[in-house]
Amino acid sequence: MQKEKSYKSRKAMERRLDILSLILVILMSIAVMLPIWWIFRSSLMTNAQLFQWPPKFFPPDWLWSNYKETLKYFPFLTYFKNTMTIIIPAVVGGTVTATLGGYAFARLRFKGKRFLFSLCVGSMLLPNMVTLIPLYIMWTKGFHLANTYWPLILPYFCGGGAFNIFLIRQFIMTIPKELDEAATIDGAGYFRILFSIVMPAIKSAMIVVALLLFIQIWNDLLQQIIYINTGDKFTIAIGLSQFKGSLKQEWAYIMCSTCMSFVPGIVFYLIGQKYFVEGIVLTGMKN
Amino acid sequence: MKESKTMEATGIKKKQLLRAEGRAAYICLIPSIIGLIFLTYGPLLAVLILSFFDWKGVGTPNWVGFANYVRLFTKDPYFKDSIKVTVYFSLLSVFGSIIYSFIIALLLNRNIPARGFFRAVFYLPYVLPAMAVYLGWSWLYESNFGFFNYLLSLMGIQKIKFLGSKQWVVPSLALIAVWLSGNLIVIFLAGLQDVPRVYHEAAEIDGANSWQRFWHVTFPCMTPIIFYNLLMSLITNMQVITPALALTQGGPGNSSRFISYIMYTYAFKDMKFSYACAVSFIFFLIIGAFTAVLFTTSGKWVFYQGGDN
Repeated sequence: MQKEKSYKSRKAMERRLDILSLILVILMSIAVMLPIWWIFRSSLMTNAQLFQWPPKFFPPDWLWSNYKETLKYFPFLTYFKNTMTIIIPAVVGGTVTATLGGYAFARLRFKGKRFLFSLCVGSMLLPNMVTLIPLYIMWTKGFHLANTYWPLILPYFCGGGAFNIFLIRQFIMTIPKELDEAATIDGAGYFRILFSIVMPAIKSAMIVVALLLFIQIWNDLLQQIIYINTGDKFTIAIGLSQFKGSLKQEWAYIMCSTCMSFVPGIVFYLIGQKYFVEGIVLTGMKN
Repeated sequence: MKESKTMEATGIKKKQLLRAEGRAAYICLIPSIIGLIFLTYGPLLAVLILSFFDWKGVGTPNWVGFANYVRLFTKDPYFKDSIKVTVYFSLLSVFGSIIYSFIIALLLNRNIPARGFFRAVFYLPYVLPAMAVYLGWSWLYESNFGFFNYLLSLMGIQKIKFLGSKQWVVPSLALIAVWLSGNLIVIFLAGLQDVPRVYHEAAEIDGANSWQRFWHVTFPCMTPIIFYNLLMSLITNMQVITPALALTQGGPGNSSRFISYIMYTYAFKDMKFSYACAVSFIFFLIIGAFTAVLFTTSGKWVFYQGGDN
């Protein structure tokens, strides 16, 4: 009887905690979304309205024409096309080479495996910033590739980053080995196994890797600035930084350019989201 | 006799198979090996070598020994401040992000409706391009009409020059870093779902309340993931440069002149490549030291299930 009562009161307690959590989550998500809302509402106002006190929470007349105006000075479509010219090959290259590497580390036996693997994991701890200058010298003085997209694309064809190789490896290790052993007995080669058995099974991990690479390149203002120097080759990130410099106080237009740049990331995320969460969850991120 | 022959044959067959397996592995790893040599460890060595020369991008480099390092530690007007600022920023953003995302993950891990939707909401800032995020936030931080000053005025607090004052610029940038840390939430959530239910059930039978279950079951099981997030978040945040490039140019004064930023200006504005390499190498050692401290202390607080890992 006593036990029954305490069990019931504990259940009630859990219910109360759940409700409290829900309230907190709602409040926090409003707080997280507020900056985005504020940027968006600012893109739909005149500059005079922006510099009014107290500021209005909703734009008084939703000036969608701001976007049309902004596009006159901010060639978003060109920037978007340029950014995609880098991102698409880099993401494909990175995902494919990371999958190859992850497969070798997860499934194949070879000499020097431990050594290579520890080199790989070790490079995760090596900050990119440290190797920036020698790489710049190599690409511009060695290969004469300044002001081209190659220095921004080619590195992704070299393994796609240690973290991604590691992620794919962890993922492949969760699929039962019997599957590819059976295929070996049937006479399938290692690459046949990789393409027809392993790759379909790790689809969601490959999507995670692709999305992570996408975000990484998307965010990489520094490398784009040092390698690209003519306006016709600008990416969204460089374009934005230049636009801010040339407009200074035209906040409404600057916010329009910001909102436009938000869109592609959101769209890609919404498309990949299902796989993305599944991928992270299944990988487990243990070890 | 016959038997030993077949055994020998299978032995040879096995060897051949192993060799084929090795060959396949090396083919798979060619891109990664090229990357490790030419994009990772080679350049690291090159940074060290170049830092002993004087080279401005043209002509033949001159050997100068430790001169670059000596200058860095004795005469450089920015270097010491940049270390302080970088460490300050990193500590604020790393601990801020870890605490924020762990709390959100704990809340999302409870039995609440529309969990997927909320997870997407908290993750969203992470998929926005950094440059656009900083531009947008610079307007929110505007010193007279910005959103945050509006909030302060509603609470009856005086306006703050968020990005324009030495005192506030780093905390303001760190807040953006915390806002951007949605990826940590997803990793924490994955970890929370891995905490064995048996442990919780056992604790419940023993009459543990929610707090005790969190502190004695959930938290210890999560320490490896907290460690992983700490490490990765530290390495990322130490390399901070985009806000300085995009917004502050290191100012006001030297208050947001991060190490990466002085390295960038020395190399790409002043063309002092070899001097910038000395900065890079010291930077590498600093991050290495932080990583080492994290690893050595991890034995004390990180709990691995099953003991050896």
